[in-house]
Amino acid sequence: MSAPAAGSIASPVIGAGTRRRARRVRGSTIANIVFLSMCAAFVAVPFYVVFVTSFKTMDQIAAGDIFALPTTWTLEPWWKAWSEICAGMTCEGVKHGFFNSMKILFPSIVLSIGLSSVTGYALALWNVRWANSFLFILFMCAFVPFQIIMIPLVVLTAKMHIFGTVWAIAVVHAVLMMPLLTLIFRNFYKDIPRELINAAVMDSGSFWRIFAEIILPMSGNIMVVVLILVITNVWNDYLIGLTFGGMGTQPMTVILANTVITERGDVHYNIDMAAALLTAIPPLVVYFGLGKFFVRGITAGAIKG
Amino acid sequence: MAVRWSKVAPQLALTPAVAVTAIAFAGAIGWTIFMSFTRSRRFPDYTINPDEWLRQYDRLAHNDAWATSLKNLIVLGVGSALAIVLGFILAAMVEREKRGEGFFRTVFLYPLAISLIVTGIVWRWMFNPALGIENFLHQLGWERASFNWLREPETAMYGIIIASIWHGLGFYMALMLAGLKSINGEIWSAARLDGVSFWRLYTEIIIPMMKFTFLTCAILLSLGVVKAYDIVVAMTNGGPGTSTWTPAYFAINAYATRGNIGFASAAAVIMLVITLVIFLPLVAVTAWQQRRREEAAG
Repeated sequence: MSAPAAGSIASPVIGAGTRRRARRVRGSTIANIVFLSMCAAFVAVPFYVVFVTSFKTMDQIAAGDIFALPTTWTLEPWWKAWSEICAGMTCEGVKHGFFNSMKILFPSIVLSIGLSSVTGYALALWNVRWANSFLFILFMCAFVPFQIIMIPLVVLTAKMHIFGTVWAIAVVHAVLMMPLLTLIFRNFYKDIPRELINAAVMDSGSFWRIFAEIILPMSGNIMVVVLILVITNVWNDYLIGLTFGGMGTQPMTVILANTVITERGDVHYNIDMAAALLTAIPPLVVYFGLGKFFVRGITAGAIKG
Repeated sequence: MAVRWSKVAPQLALTPAVAVTAIAFAGAIGWTIFMSFTRSRRFPDYTINPDEWLRQYDRLAHNDAWATSLKNLIVLGVGSALAIVLGFILAAMVEREKRGEGFFRTVFLYPLAISLIVTGIVWRWMFNPALGIENFLHQLGWERASFNWLREPETAMYGIIIASIWHGLGFYMALMLAGLKSINGEIWSAARLDGVSFWRLYTEIIIPMMKFTFLTCAILLSLGVVKAYDIVVAMTNGGPGTSTWTPAYFAINAYATRGNIGFASAAAVIMLVITLVIFLPLVAVTAWQQRRREEAAG
């Protein structure tokens, strides 16, 4: 709280230094921090509640007081959520969904990044006459509500005999993300100097060789950003998995929803919360592990839009 | 040889993307629009009866659940707009308070990494009447506190709004923070030298300068609201009754539960129209603003 003193020390950042000095009233700083902390509590408390609930026994939960710490910490709800909880008729826990989501994730990543990086590269660095009109169409497609293309995609995937498999889910993910990812890649690649490409073409570098030997090695950062975007999108998706997945191929979110929402009779809140946390862990790991890229990913996705 | 190849290869490489756009977007949208004029039930039926080609839209217009869905769309849009306002306030505060920026950003943004299904389940638990917050307040001695929002048709939508704000707040804060950071540092010191008050600095200088950011946030928010489906499923599954249906929920329900492709297509077409109505004017304004910016810069 001794911030105002900092204002008198010459700050290397002009903006920051002057603003510190401008804040004459100490109270406003405190009010600031109090308000920020209150909002942070609003955001953080639900997670805390879910976290402690997942370690409690049902006896303690039935006694009320959702904010209390578990009197005895138990891992049983987590174990039951992972391997015993019932979704409809089958009682195999959410682990099935976890592996399904993994199986969906990898082909989705390969298909969507493969398709959109090449498209972005061709549009950004090669002379394609209709590039701008195509970019505009992609821009429009990025905002189309999924419902309007959902039913024809069901018909199409059924005709291709992949409906109900993880491939259908992966292909639909790749299709749906293609416009946005292409725009992101294109915006990244367009800043690469044209001379570089011209020189490479002179050296008889072909389209694909330039991509593989020059462009891909330069794309590390943008690949991480897009990868995070794809992982969180695919993992957190519900509707595509629900519509295009079959009995054995439903992703984790669908299994979780079936488990918790259609629950009848004795509700085990601790197991439900453990199942919810299990579903949330993979994207949270990505978020806390690669936070900087995550922020860039979501804002890149947004601002280009 | 190399030159000619350099013309063919890019076009060849673009073929998959063009095919996807033509089939999965343009073609699919056309197909759905066509279907909305037919009487297709569980399977597509490609005949249009010229006397009643607007039949599905007529049915929509007389459907109470559809009217509720449209009303909820507006309620949800207005309600979650609070996330933009709050996001701006938080961003401004975090920006002034240099310390802890990383901490606050991490805290505010983590819900975005969580799926809406999990978000809904988390908040269902908070709203649980017997064991959730209501029970906690009762135990504190506030007997008349009512937090059983999700079971009442009048308040269920507000529960969904709170969960949506919780999920999206950090996102809008991050966008606003990026917007604030792009403001020239000299403005702050100039304002200080001129003795501009705190409120006037923000309301008359900073917010007008960030019009573009606000617009982006507004577009993204409205598009998200039109798509709202997962959060409804997870929190209320449309109930009580049909009180928390949204157009997205309505369309999926018409297709998956009622098995009526024609009806679902009509609902989806209206969703597309709503998206266009929101989207096109905003895009026009955005393009105009960007041009003005470029003119000012160049």
